[in-house]
Amino acid sequence: MGSNTTFSRGTVLVLVGTKRGLFLLNSRDRERWEVTATGLAGRRIFYATLDQRTGHRMFAADNGDFFGAFLRYSDDFGQTWQEPEQGIQFPEASEQKLENIWIIEPGRSSEPGTLYAGVDPASLWISSDSGVHWSMNDGLANHPTRSRWEPGAGGLCLHSIIVDPTNAARMWVGISAVGCMRTDDGGQNWGFANKNVRADFLPEKYPEFGQCIHRMVQHPTQPDVLYQQNHCGIYKSINAGDDWIDIQHNLPSEFGFPIALDAHHPDTVFVVVENPAGRHNVSEQFTVYRTQDGGERWQPLTEGLPSGAGVSLGVLRHGMCADTLDPCGVYVGTNTGQVFASHDRGDSWSLIADFLPPVYSVNAIVIE
Amino acid sequence: MDIPATIPHALVILPHALREKAGNQPSVEVSGHTVREIIAALDHDYPGLGFSLCYETGELRPYVNVFLDRENIRYLQGLDTPLRHGATIHILQSVAGG
Repeated sequence: MGSNTTFSRGTVLVLVGTKRGLFLLNSRDRERWEVTATGLAGRRIFYATLDQRTGHRMFAADNGDFFGAFLRYSDDFGQTWQEPEQGIQFPEASEQKLENIWIIEPGRSSEPGTLYAGVDPASLWISSDSGVHWSMNDGLANHPTRSRWEPGAGGLCLHSIIVDPTNAARMWVGISAVGCMRTDDGGQNWGFANKNVRADFLPEKYPEFGQCIHRMVQHPTQPDVLYQQNHCGIYKSINAGDDWIDIQHNLPSEFGFPIALDAHHPDTVFVVVENPAGRHNVSEQFTVYRTQDGGERWQPLTEGLPSGAGVSLGVLRHGMCADTLDPCGVYVGTNTGQVFASHDRGDSWSLIADFLPPVYSVNAIVIE
Repeated sequence: MDIPATIPHALVILPHALREKAGNQPSVEVSGHTVREIIAALDHDYPGLGFSLCYETGELRPYVNVFLDRENIRYLQGLDTPLRHGATIHILQSVAGG
């Protein structure tokens, strides 16, 4: 693996968070890829992103095995890293302990210094100075139902953060196993947005909260249109989460983690669904599924993806993404250390990285 | 006349993973009456080091072992274990994983 340098405009950079390190995959044509390691070799990286609003600051969720979880940032594409002056730490009086940092998302283009982070135990953290100082959102932390939130298998994790680009007061978060929550007043108050989302593992199948949301994404031009992969189905909302529509239809499983959107064809959505017991591909064919009509019908995509007895690949909640080019590229990282990519909206796939540690996340960025 | 008690001085040997936070030093010298005070002193001298050893609650992280003169403090008085002058403290990560 070569040393990392800066990348020219138009390069697609895929940030790959793994059980043992952060890796970068880069390509000018999305056919030939170069794999490079970063200064976070050996670290347990749940997620990484690149904020290009004020430069090229990279952020990583570094959840160490021994010495704690740290958000880190880099201004040289991952070669060297710094810790915030005021990082993500709960107040001692809260009696809470930071377990893992799950997601870091740049805010709106109108708030270029603002970033959001989601962690376990479920809470939302905000920086208004490009990641140097972080503070907790009290509205969510002090929610009146907070004591009744239960963790999923991965912990009580806030893993999805979506801002409304047209409404500075509105945003959504996804918490496992609490569900979707929305604020309409800039984070002072939060309400549940889980109507019609099943929770088969609870006595009440359609509770106000307690749903095991796995991942949530937003329509790029219609902010009130949301999609989520859930422990119990795949759902779409066309009214900002006021209610949800089950769009599983012909998918072979209701269980899966990742979901991604084609920014230029926003009725095109990609999912990977799994055998819920084994948490790997449903059949002997590893398959990505695509809908091009907002979830009415799903099409299996298999060209270039592996098949055969013993093919058992799992994809975690942040393990799939799409880039913002047209036709969009789609990227899938597996728990067996492969990254598959398509440069034609999923029609065909190729293996662009292998023998990585188990992949936790992929995040594709087009360098500006 | 009261004679102020001097604060015990200890040599703290850091694991490789934490040396960067202490200016790449393999060991540092700090003072404290207890292991808890030693960790507070480490955090004072090298901000952020304390959070690598203890949770926000002050509790020692489960895979961090602190040995005071070859004794694991978990089998002494934990973070309240008192120090003597010239003590040597080893901070180590657990043998864990697979």
